[in-house]
Amino acid sequence: MGLFDKLSLWLGLKKKEVNVLCLGLDNSGKTTIINQLKPSDSQAQDVVPTIGFSIEKFKTTSLSFTVFDMSGQGRYRNLWEHYYKEGQAIIFVIDSGDQLRMVVAKEELDTLLNHSDIMHRRIPILFFANKMDLRDAVSAVKVSQLLCLESIRDKPWHICASNAVKGEGLQEGVDWLQGTMAGLILLHQLLTHRDSVAVVISFALL
Amino acid sequence: MIKKFDKKDEESGSGSNPFQHLEKSAVLQEARIFNETPINPRRCLHILTKIIYLLNQGEHFGTTEATEAFFAMTRLFQSNDQTLRRMCYLTIKEMANISEDVIIVTSSLTKDMTGKEDVYRGPAIRALCRITDTTMLQAIERYMKQAIVDKVPSVSSSALVSSLHMVKMSYDVVKRWVNEAQEAASSDNIMVQYHALGLLYHLRKNDRLAVSKMLNKFTKSGLKSPFAYCMLIRIASRLLEETEGGHDSPLFDFIESCLRNKHEMVVYEAASAIVHMPNCTARELAPAVSVLQLFCSSPKAALRYAAVRTLNKVAMKHPSAVTACNLDLENLITDSNRSIATLAITTLLKTGSESSVDRLMKQISSFVSEISDEFKVVVVQAISALCQKYPRKHSVMMNFLSNMLRDDGGFEYKRAIVDCIIGIIEENPESKETGLAHLCEFIEDCEHTVLATKILHLLGREGPRTPSPSKYIRFIFNRVVLESEAVRAAAVSALAKFGAQNDDLLPSVLVLMQRCMMDSDDEVRDRATFYMNVLQQKQKALNAAYIFNGLSVSIPGLEKSLHQYTLEPSEKPFDMKTVPLATTPITEQKTEMAPVASSKLPEKLAPSRQDIYQEQLAAIPEFQGLGPLFKSSEPVQLTEAETEYVVRCIKHTFANHMVFQFDCTNTLNDQLLQKVVVQMEPSEAYEVVQYVPAASLPYSQPGSCYCLVRLPEDDPTAVSCTFSCTMKYLVRDCDPNTGEPDDDGYDDEYVLEDLEVTVADHIQKVLKPNFAAAWEEVGDEFEKEETFALSSVRTLDEAVGNIISFLGMQPCERSDKVPENKNSHVLFLAGVFRGGHDVLVRSRLALADGVTMQVTVRSGEETVVDVILASVG
Ligand SMILES: Nc1nc2c(ncn2[C@@H]2O[C@H](COP(=O)(O)OP(=O)(O)O)[C@@H](O)[C@H]2O)c(=O)[nH]1
Ligand SMILES: [Mg+2]
Repeated sequence: MGLFDKLSLWLGLKKKEVNVLCLGLDNSGKTTIINQLKPSDSQAQDVVPTIGFSIEKFKTTSLSFTVFDMSGQGRYRNLWEHYYKEGQAIIFVIDSGDQLRMVVAKEELDTLLNHSDIMHRRIPILFFANKMDLRDAVSAVKVSQLLCLESIRDKPWHICASNAVKGEGLQEGVDWLQGTMAGLILLHQLLTHRDSVAVVISFALL
Repeated sequence: MIKKFDKKDEESGSGSNPFQHLEKSAVLQEARIFNETPINPRRCLHILTKIIYLLNQGEHFGTTEATEAFFAMTRLFQSNDQTLRRMCYLTIKEMANISEDVIIVTSSLTKDMTGKEDVYRGPAIRALCRITDTTMLQAIERYMKQAIVDKVPSVSSSALVSSLHMVKMSYDVVKRWVNEAQEAASSDNIMVQYHALGLLYHLRKNDRLAVSKMLNKFTKSGLKSPFAYCMLIRIASRLLEETEGGHDSPLFDFIESCLRNKHEMVVYEAASAIVHMPNCTARELAPAVSVLQLFCSSPKAALRYAAVRTLNKVAMKHPSAVTACNLDLENLITDSNRSIATLAITTLLKTGSESSVDRLMKQISSFVSEISDEFKVVVVQAISALCQKYPRKHSVMMNFLSNMLRDDGGFEYKRAIVDCIIGIIEENPESKETGLAHLCEFIEDCEHTVLATKILHLLGREGPRTPSPSKYIRFIFNRVVLESEAVRAAAVSALAKFGAQNDDLLPSVLVLMQRCMMDSDDEVRDRATFYMNVLQQKQKALNAAYIFNGLSVSIPGLEKSLHQYTLEPSEKPFDMKTVPLATTPITEQKTEMAPVASSKLPEKLAPSRQDIYQEQLAAIPEFQGLGPLFKSSEPVQLTEAETEYVVRCIKHTFANHMVFQFDCTNTLNDQLLQKVVVQMEPSEAYEVVQYVPAASLPYSQPGSCYCLVRLPEDDPTAVSCTFSCTMKYLVRDCDPNTGEPDDDGYDDEYVLEDLEVTVADHIQKVLKPNFAAAWEEVGDEFEKEETFALSSVRTLDEAVGNIISFLGMQPCERSDKVPENKNSHVLFLAGVFRGGHDVLVRSRLALADGVTMQVTVRSGEETVVDVILASVG
């Protein structure tokens, strides 16, 4: 391996890959959100209910995301946990118009947070209070109250309202996710690479 | 289904197979790297290969471990490595039935099947259809329909073939895709067209009219794909066969026209279809045979092979047509492809003249060691057929067979040879000693237990009755010293027969028996002790009953009776007469050549047809207390074919009763029959005791009703009776479409043909392997003899056939076969009369103007003798 290759690796010129789990009840808009984030040439024309899961990829300025878009239908929810271990971040989508099932969403969220593969990890969670365009949609603040998000103390989290069909609000969320992830990656490198060069370069990247 | 390599494979395989010593647990451990990011496609690929290898070796994966590995594998969908992805598809297919929740990959697969990557699309469809059950099929239906008409051939083909697989599981859903399949059938791609035709046919195959419409359409419009043409030919010939369509049918014309197709494949298929048709005339065969003849000299080995193999198969049916190709077949004898050569020679053997046999046999011996077992079996089969055709050639054949027996070869091959030798011995008494000698030599070094025991059994039966029985003793006793338990036990039984038949051998047999009583195996010791005790009595009757002519009861029946006996403690000793008899005599199975594929040995003694009836009848409360079922007749048709109602009767005979079982089918789709009985009017003093009706007979669902009759007690000789039968029932008309019946119905009746009960219904066949011994055993206390003139029969063969079917008794000592050019013959018949009495008939026949028959009957019961004679005269 030549010096340049090595350096380029260290410099992080190749985008750091991050695995993200996209969770939430069925029909909340997960697939639509992920579809919007993909480069326009690989977006699907129409979104159909997911059966099982599907793996999608999109890039931001500094990171490359691999998303496990899980199905939210009841019979598949207990299969989410198979993928908890390698998720480095979670996108949790809520249908802000579906007040009836808000408790169900809360239940699933609590189960997730209490799962042994998730509980003790500082894993960032991005909430989308989706379908904000619907007439009876509740606000992001209201959603975070209903789901008791304030009680999440050991994980960085963020909520933003979105309209996945139009793509509104998505960028804000993704920016937050990228920032948080980059910070975590840096921290990780600080802890593992005592090498000062790495630290310096990583700082520069921030 | 663990695949066992034979020794050869193992030797050549070691060192070259990197997967040979794979450990499942280690592989599953390795599979954890699927969870690591970033994914290393090369390593993952290698591990998937190992998993698939293990699965294909028959390695058992528990549900939990399989599911864990499966979910780990699903992560590999992150990678865009093409080879890895396709390996994932394979893994999904392999694990579809062992892992749980495999539907987790549904969306991933639908994404691949609709995506841009053409190499993914076909395989993704195949994998998707494997994990989709009927409930999930709706969810992917739209994609399947699109895929069937996709313009990429591999996608369309995959969808069509997968649909075909799913027809079995979800016929109703797949049926909705018929329009798409129709569109695909006009594709320019030959495979797509073929697969589409396959799907269309399978969707319609139960509807003859639809199939025939479809054939009509495609034969008119013509197809591009030669594969599709081959399929059309097959469908057409099946339809011809089912409808018994004459050869003036347009279907036949179509097949014949295919003989002029430009594709050799189609031409061959058509020729093969024609020569396999039943009752083809020589004129119809001619063009097909000449096509095959042409192929015999083709430079392509595959065509030569196909042609000669087909000619070989039909050689027996159409010898003259095949003889026309003799010259071409002669040319193939020296073909460098040994399979072709073998088939050519064996075909010539089947059709050739007696004079050519020696030459051909010499030819074939020059290379028999080079061909595979499968073809060696073909050779043996040809020899077997030849022996039947030219009995005088048996010494040449026997010689050849004995040489083959000495060669190396697998079980199937050896079994074919042994069966063939046994066949020759049975057909030609003069070859018996040579044959037995060859078999003796063979068992001196035979690794197949089944064959060794079979031969020992034969030696026991035939050896004692040869001029010098003593020479077999050594071969048999060697088995006791050298072989496995099963063979030792068979050897002991064979020895006993020599002691029982030959007084001068008895002392030495007893000495050998004594040694066998010290064997390490229970079964061997038990047999030796048993025979020792019987032999020491020196009584002919005992020998006959316990050594020559073993048990004639049904084994499952005996087991059940004994079990019953142990449940109800009683003072009375167990009575063998209460045990149902075996219906198919176990030792008399014809030594037919089984086709190679279906030659699996039965593992368990399957219950016979009669055991099944016994069980069914016992479940009907009205028939409790009739005792064991003695005999069930073959079904007798009481209606003409193609009538409104189809009724057949099975006569079940018990000790003092008969049960008539009427199997009825209602072929009218606008009627529901209820409370169906068949009323019986006897001509003699038979008393109808009870009817058991069939509650309802919906359209085309068979049902049974019964009639219980008491046999006349005061006149045991009244064994025959004619019953007039009328079916009575309540009709409820119904809607043919829904099957919904009207509220009320009306009574109606339907007259059936008369039913006869004859003497044969009272006698069960029993094989006595040693008739003379059985004759002595029964003794002449109640022997009676009469002479009859049979004026209406012309030949001995005819007379023999009539007597056997009339009395329903078992011919013994192969006396049902009348040697050619003889003026007299003796027929030996054995059976058991209702109530459990042995009955034996010896019938001497002489041919003069008509046939004169002297009948001698023996039984332990006088009335039985009278019944038989009364019914003959
Ligand atoms: N009005 C509205 N509809 C949305 C929005 N996001 C998604 N949908 C619709 O909600 C349905 C379910 O979306 P989908 O992405 O399949 O949900 P998933 O089951 O969570 O993956 C689809 O019909 C989308 O068009 C949104 O922001 N506003
Ligand atoms: Mg979805």
